[in-house]
Amino acid sequence: MAGRDGDDDTPSESRMVVPLNTWVLISNLKLAYNLLRGKDGTFNRHLAEFLDRKVPSNTNPVDGVFSFDVIIDRGTNLLVRVYRPVDPEVGSPGFTDLYRPSSADVVPVIVFFHGGSFAHSSANSSIYDILCRRLVSLCDAILISVDYRRTPEYTYPCPYIDGWTALEWVNSRTWLRSKKDSKVHIYLAGDSSGGNIIHNVALRAMGSEIEVRGNIMLNPMFGAEERSESEIQLDGKYFVTIQDRDWYWRAFLPEEDRDHPACNPFGPKGISIEGKNFPRSLVVVAGLNLIRDLQVAYAEGLGKAGCDVKLIYLEMATVGFYLLPNNDNYFTVMDEIKTFVSSSS
Amino acid sequence: MVTKRDRPPEKGQGSSAAKMWIEDQPDTMDELLAVLGYKVRASDMTVIAKKLEQLEVAMGIDTVHGATHLSETTHYNPADISTWVESMLTELSPSVSETHSSLIHDNHSEYDLRAIPGGAIYGGDSSTSSGSKRMKVSESCVVESGPGPLVVDSQEAGVRLVHTLLACAEAIQVDDLKLADALVKHVSLLSTSQVGSMRKVASYFAHALARKIYKIFPKDSLEVSFLDMYQMHFYESCPYLKFAHFTANQAILEAFAGCNRVHVIDFGLKQGMQWPALLQALALRNGGPPSFRLTGIGPPQPDNTDALQEVGYKLAQLAESIGIEFEFRGFVANSLADIDASMLNIRPREEEAVAVNSVFELHRLLARPGAIEKVLNSIKKMNPKIVTVVEQESNHNSPVFLDRFTQALHYYSTMFDSLETTGFTQTNDTQDLLMSDVYLGRQICNVVSCEGPDRVERHETLTQWRTRMCEAGFDSVHLGSNAYKQASMLLALFAGGDGYQVEENDGSLMLGWHTRSLIATSAWQLVGPV
Repeated sequence: MAGRDGDDDTPSESRMVVPLNTWVLISNLKLAYNLLRGKDGTFNRHLAEFLDRKVPSNTNPVDGVFSFDVIIDRGTNLLVRVYRPVDPEVGSPGFTDLYRPSSADVVPVIVFFHGGSFAHSSANSSIYDILCRRLVSLCDAILISVDYRRTPEYTYPCPYIDGWTALEWVNSRTWLRSKKDSKVHIYLAGDSSGGNIIHNVALRAMGSEIEVRGNIMLNPMFGAEERSESEIQLDGKYFVTIQDRDWYWRAFLPEEDRDHPACNPFGPKGISIEGKNFPRSLVVVAGLNLIRDLQVAYAEGLGKAGCDVKLIYLEMATVGFYLLPNNDNYFTVMDEIKTFVSSSS
Repeated sequence: MVTKRDRPPEKGQGSSAAKMWIEDQPDTMDELLAVLGYKVRASDMTVIAKKLEQLEVAMGIDTVHGATHLSETTHYNPADISTWVESMLTELSPSVSETHSSLIHDNHSEYDLRAIPGGAIYGGDSSTSSGSKRMKVSESCVVESGPGPLVVDSQEAGVRLVHTLLACAEAIQVDDLKLADALVKHVSLLSTSQVGSMRKVASYFAHALARKIYKIFPKDSLEVSFLDMYQMHFYESCPYLKFAHFTANQAILEAFAGCNRVHVIDFGLKQGMQWPALLQALALRNGGPPSFRLTGIGPPQPDNTDALQEVGYKLAQLAESIGIEFEFRGFVANSLADIDASMLNIRPREEEAVAVNSVFELHRLLARPGAIEKVLNSIKKMNPKIVTVVEQESNHNSPVFLDRFTQALHYYSTMFDSLETTGFTQTNDTQDLLMSDVYLGRQICNVVSCEGPDRVERHETLTQWRTRMCEAGFDSVHLGSNAYKQASMLLALFAGGDGYQVEENDGSLMLGWHTRSLIATSAWQLVGPV
């Protein structure tokens, strides 16, 4: 836990392992989130939205990337934010340039699911807007960030349904197709709950004609009834507690335990994906993350089922290390993502 | 809670704006956090970290009540992490509770500030993107980039329609009126295949473009009473005006806490829709209501009726029925610049607290040089405790026609989309919706086809207004999470209200449709001790 006494000058363990501004950012978020979760499972949505820092879309390119928002499903008010790199031949985009097919032979299209443990953040949250922009620059990709419905207002399986709607929408846009083969080259990327959504959307894609070329998961959110070693050892040490994880699972799966396959895909109630064409996966695990053992188990589960999986284990990383470009782990992961996307085109 | 007085940023949010700001003040703010919307001085980082740890301990000591208590108090300006954390520490620490002002513990949620629909007040007989292709435009025009468009799925026909409208505007920009004429006719053709809000938007813009091409600049001959009526219907059919009134009233109510005599100066009285709710809230407040004086300003009526006096009378009746001492004075003026403080019988600050309220009025002053400066100066002479400003959140005042056309197209498309999608469940009155269309259509016509002093719909963004207010000597007063929450709850009254979103922006509140902000409410006070 954080510093024992008010007068104690010794910083907490978490302060020792991350840059100071990262620590301030994540602690600030953590404390804000603590205010929002009610003991009885209620969530102070008004305060959550009040506190969340948001940014509008911007068709004027900033660092070579512009964005605009689209409502893709009126019924559920599902919105996505589209990010595109500036086309050097076109320059600052006019309205029709928003839907102009890319001049590149192959353009990766990343469908992104932000984190927030299913309850927090939005596609227009500043922490995710900036991350998406960085990914676009990095991979020279078009990125679609999905503003999925959140708990506790919308429980399982709503986020998965929204993910699927977005995937179908992306797959059917002619302007997202690569010239090379007139297909949309789709990757799924996300962190925390976003990572969990990716797995479940990818499962559904397996049985369909939609091809997902790769999954990129940063600290994907999973759980299990049986407490893992890392949960016991790291409880409360690096921004995350077992108590808060349990709260989010109860909010997402109110009638279920943590061995439900949505929560624990390779657990006792898991669904086998052996022999099926699950997308190749890049799984990034922060070593100081509370649920690291579960995440490693997930990667192992993929491997055992015969899937192509690469596990990046960052020993001294905590949650949120990828939010600020001020640490080696950030750059390591960005390089891996770039390689992953370009190598499967 | 620490005082809401704060030094507002010189520039707005957004990564490019933040970067500009950083360059002005090197090594002051943490750049990486600034990009995320947090203002943290690099030199304060360690201190803030310690405070965060202290706060966690304080919350941890009283796990049952700590977080719950804090989630129920009012929060202000979360972008400033230092003051936010400090205020929570203060809140949890009993030893400093006596220095709190009543504002902190006074939970305003007991006041139902939901605006009352027009009919109810007067007893039933009521009469309510940014992407711009710059072509051969002078580089010296610095245009603030607007947000990108909010597209409602990329249906082919809708996209072509917008494209044609923009192409027409481009043609006008480069003075190719022949091409513009052909394009505007094409728009009319295309829009017949559209339905719903896109069709309306296209026809209003096409109509305005045609006026511009043919140089038809009729003076605004419509009777003022009609304009008021349109606004009343607009008021009924969607939440924008209600939000404006509600949030402004919240700031005024807080500023009037503990004051026994108050004076509200309304820069655009119209039908006085804003005031019944404030009067009700004042009637219910702890310690009883103050004496209430209202000065209402409005334009002259062509038929010489005293519209202001009629409104004043109705409000006086309401005030009497709820036990508030009430005085009204109306001022007829063609322009706010014609009013000065000496006319308004301003009483000394110790005797009477003054609130100056402007809902969609200030932007009109930008049509004449010097007017806004004059009015801001007058406001200062009124010695207000609080100044509430509500404006449209968009830049429709660029000197470059194409830029303001583009911004307006995106803005009103979003507006019309929201009107179409939601409907106030308490009225199936299609007349409300039709009138709202007209109300907005007139604005579109003005932005697009008028010039010079006739072009009065000179909307500018919150960022631009902030700069102006700060330069004139005002400080931002923050609207907090209580106002935010109640505003959000107000929106839930509207069917399909799911799409509406309230956003906190450096102490101001904005109402938007999905991710696009459309209205911004800000509150101000004079700099320095009073």
